[in-house]
Amino acid sequence: MKATMPILALVVAALLVASQSLYTVDQRQYAIRFQLGEIIETQAQAGLYTKVPLMQNIKYYDKRVLLLDNAEPDRITTSEKKPLLVDFFVLWRIVDVKQYYISVQGDEEAARRRLSQTVRSNLAEEINKRTVHDAISAERDKIMHTTRLKADTDAKTIGVEIVDVRLRRVELPPDVTGPVYARMESERRRVANELRSEGQAESEKIRADADRQRVVILADAYRESQKTKGDGDARASAIYAQAYGVNPEFYAFYRSLEAYKGTFRNKGDMMVLDPSSEFFRYFKNSGGAAAAKGAGK
Amino acid sequence: MSLNDPQWGKRGGGGSGGPPDLDEIWRNVNRKINDLFGRKPGGSGDGDQGGGGGGLRAPQLPLSGVGILVALVVLVWLASGFYIVDEGRRGVVTRFGKYTETTLPGPRWHLPFPVETAELVDFSQVKTIEIGYRNSPKNKVDKEALMLTDDENIIDIQFAVQYNIKSAEDYLFTVRKPDLIVAFVAQTAMGEVVGKAKMDFALYEGREQIAKSAEKLMQEMLDRYKTGIYVQKVTLQNVQPPDKVQAAFDDAVKAGQDRERFRNEGQAYANEVVPRARGNASRLLEEANGYKAEVVQRAEGDASRFRQILVEYAKAPGVTRERLYLDMMQSVVGNTSKVLVDQKAGNSLLYLPLDKLIQQSGAAAAAAAAAAAPVTVVDGTPSRAPAAAPPEPAATLDAGRSRDALRARERTGDSR
Repeated sequence: MKATMPILALVVAALLVASQSLYTVDQRQYAIRFQLGEIIETQAQAGLYTKVPLMQNIKYYDKRVLLLDNAEPDRITTSEKKPLLVDFFVLWRIVDVKQYYISVQGDEEAARRRLSQTVRSNLAEEINKRTVHDAISAERDKIMHTTRLKADTDAKTIGVEIVDVRLRRVELPPDVTGPVYARMESERRRVANELRSEGQAESEKIRADADRQRVVILADAYRESQKTKGDGDARASAIYAQAYGVNPEFYAFYRSLEAYKGTFRNKGDMMVLDPSSEFFRYFKNSGGAAAAKGAGK
Repeated sequence: MSLNDPQWGKRGGGGSGGPPDLDEIWRNVNRKINDLFGRKPGGSGDGDQGGGGGGLRAPQLPLSGVGILVALVVLVWLASGFYIVDEGRRGVVTRFGKYTETTLPGPRWHLPFPVETAELVDFSQVKTIEIGYRNSPKNKVDKEALMLTDDENIIDIQFAVQYNIKSAEDYLFTVRKPDLIVAFVAQTAMGEVVGKAKMDFALYEGREQIAKSAEKLMQEMLDRYKTGIYVQKVTLQNVQPPDKVQAAFDDAVKAGQDRERFRNEGQAYANEVVPRARGNASRLLEEANGYKAEVVQRAEGDASRFRQILVEYAKAPGVTRERLYLDMMQSVVGNTSKVLVDQKAGNSLLYLPLDKLIQQSGAAAAAAAAAAAPVTVVDGTPSRAPAAAPPEPAATLDAGRSRDALRARERTGDSR
């Protein structure tokens, strides 16, 4: 037991000295070693380092990419004097920890405030130059890029790099969305009306076309049928002419008889006859064809 | 450092779960100790004492209880370096704060506490963030969901991002609050993509493409920041017009259907009218064909008949002619009502009320169809009149009495 006591004491003492003279720097951190308030060294590499106990002290700062979120969206006016609500965020990181410490006393809040102001004013400047459409769409990435470059130049003075500036949201303030909604609504109405009347027009067109087809089909058919009938009539005529042409005189007689028969066939027909006609030549006189002939005249 | 605490609790489990790998682990332990002493002889004050003490006193063990105690302490201390990396996780080992390695699932050992520490990262677990809604798409967050499109319209868009970690060390060391940054990046990426799309494209045909573009843009940014995060998928939950104008949009959709309906109605009409017209046309054509056939056939019939008669007529023209004439007369006179007027005998006025005669003969014909044709004979000679007058009720008229007879006479003259 007597032998162990000094050993234990030695161990404890060694541990104490070690804890005061050794320090580690995390992968995520920068370290600044101060000696009586003066910066002696900065460490960007993680690992185990030594220092002079009591005289020197260490401060750590974050080496990672940090997020700066804009609490409230900014109201920025565009070149056509329309307001936009712009919400952005900034990714930044400390690159020169000594400069950083000197500029903002290592106070992250102070750094944030500073960065936020810089980015905000640069962003406002960029958007002021542009129209709403450009800010939303065409030059959105250009705005972000330019703002980042400008802010980065400024941030360098406090030992900070601006990794990126991103527009998180670009929107219209609630007091001007009313007209936008009204426009959207009227546009939809226009589309709806257009669709409906287009439908009606097409329907009418189809109907008209159908009517036209009907008329054309019927007219065509009429033409064809008349042609066919005419054909028939012509052939009939030819047949008649051929047949009757053999003896036109007899045809006239024969056809007349047919026509008389056809004409007087109704009981209602009333004939007032003269007995001296040829038909009655034997009616009054059984022998006198000559008398009848005379009477017929 | 705080993550180190669970390791202490788990070291027993590490010991019991380790057997199959013990050899390897022991080799690992040796390698690490040698490595440490070899590289940092000055900084290994603690290690020197632990390792050196154990090595020196081992032969003297039986001599001293203190030796055993120290050996035990050293053993426990060494054992505290065991840890288990669960499936789907990665262990990230740092030595004095400096990154040394990333370990795969399984039982692992690192140099105990002050020298090395291990942090476990959920590696393959898929995390989801929701933008524009929380938990269910019905639970909207308008502040996130409403976005401006290229044509300065507003759409309501809700989407989710699924991501996991592809590099545990980047995830731990390069970015503070990487998960929050994913959410911000998701918003800015979607805002940019939607801002470059037209409203109709975003609402209807371009949804897939928008999700894809946003996914790509997000991954680009996250890689640029070295977050060690892999975006698996951006899923659009809902893309729609804002609630305030939803009705108008619905109506436009309805209008599209109305257009279809109108078109179909028109087509239906056409489908009814045209075939019917075709039917009518065929009817006309068929009728014409029928007419043609009829006319021609009749003509041929008539011609044939005429020709046949003509042949007979040529043989005996006089008789045939007379016969035909008389046949005709018989047929004509036999079928009609008739009045026989002898003009020569009666030179005075003759009254002939034809209209009445026609009426009566018509009535008689109707009443007694079977009876012989009524014959009314008006004779100018009074002596003949009774003889000629038939017994029927047909009027027998005295020609001499009427003053109007003149007109009748004229008529008979006309008819002749």
